[in-house]
Amino acid sequence: MHSWWRWLSVISLAMGISQAQANGWNMPIGVTDTSGDIYGLHMTIFWICVVIGVLVFGAMFYSLFRYRYSKGAKASHFHEHTGVEVLWTVIPLLILVGMAVPATATLKDMYDSSDAELDVMVTGQQWRWRYEYLGEDVAFTSNMSTPRAQISGEETRGEHYLLEVDEPLVLPINRKIRLLMTSDDVIHSWWVPDLAVKQDSIPGFINENWVKINEPGIYRGQCAELCGIDHGFMPVVVHAMEEAAFEDWLIGRKEAAAEKAMGVDREWAMAELAERGESVYQSICSSCHQVDGQGSPPAFPALANNEQLISDVDWHIDKVLNGVSGAAMPAFRSTLNPVEIAAVVTYTRNAWGNDTGDVVQPSTVAEQISE
Amino acid sequence: MWSVVKSVLAALLGVQSNQQRQEDFSSGKPTAYIVTGIVITLLFILVLIFLARFAAR
Repeated sequence: MHSWWRWLSVISLAMGISQAQANGWNMPIGVTDTSGDIYGLHMTIFWICVVIGVLVFGAMFYSLFRYRYSKGAKASHFHEHTGVEVLWTVIPLLILVGMAVPATATLKDMYDSSDAELDVMVTGQQWRWRYEYLGEDVAFTSNMSTPRAQISGEETRGEHYLLEVDEPLVLPINRKIRLLMTSDDVIHSWWVPDLAVKQDSIPGFINENWVKINEPGIYRGQCAELCGIDHGFMPVVVHAMEEAAFEDWLIGRKEAAAEKAMGVDREWAMAELAERGESVYQSICSSCHQVDGQGSPPAFPALANNEQLISDVDWHIDKVLNGVSGAAMPAFRSTLNPVEIAAVVTYTRNAWGNDTGDVVQPSTVAEQISE
Repeated sequence: MWSVVKSVLAALLGVQSNQQRQEDFSSGKPTAYIVTGIVITLLFILVLIFLARFAAR
């Protein structure tokens, strides 16, 4: 009797789950074999829990209803029932072992980063990611590209609000890629749900992980370890390409890097440097020192009308290169190239009423780096 | 001897009948139970180590 509504509830539950999948409430199946394995484990364990829940609560509610006091039910009084006790100890044991076997197999596979064909060093920094293709001489920094005006509500939010960067990590598909994670300052966590990678990046440690992406596409993620004021503003974007397209990209990057390096030797005009410097300032410096150079004292000092900065060029360059120990200012000597540092120093020395008229040449910065 | 092992195994699993417990308390020596308990625990640990080694291969 009434078995129809039991079926109805089962069917609606199943529909709810496929609906949750479509709405993004469930975890993604992802685009790697590992992410598929994890999703399979998750669903298997979920359904085991559903079956146990239905059986246990079903038996409980049935007993409550069928043997209720008002119908004259008499409780049977007995102590211990070794058979039942063994049963409810052994059955969960078997279920747990049954779940542990496939879970362990997947975990073992996740930690096996041997035979990787490409190594990428991922370095977390407040608040951006730096990617270095080991042995390829290609390295760059990936900053969030969502405009500050969208965050403060002055502009409408874009489609990939807070999940877009100026330069995504580009990876080839169908190749085993080893990711080496570390950090320059505090603990960050590199998380891309579609790749089933969430790995802490810890200063002084190198954590390993690997991916082998099956489908080309753009996959987005975020820092998953609270790392300071702009924790929410250091997204991860991975652009997975066909192998041939990736090789082209890599060659293009190397050529671009060579071109950039050439810029160090020539004489730059003030306007050129200031323009370049402004874009560097917007993406790197403005999160602390603010777009108008006023900073947020005392943690982030103002750059506008900063007397020490105005009076001492070498001090200014040194702070950008080496950071300020014990303060929030990081060292940019490995994050920015000499042209970018010269540009941003020139820009800050001539913006917001800092009318020093100084032009800092990239060659000067390069000299100071090599000292 | 067998009844001691059986009692210790029952204790490890968390099930023991009242009748068996009464018998254990009236006849057995505590040392026998303690020593058997330690030996079986060590055996259990060895089995776990073996399984972990086997899984890690």
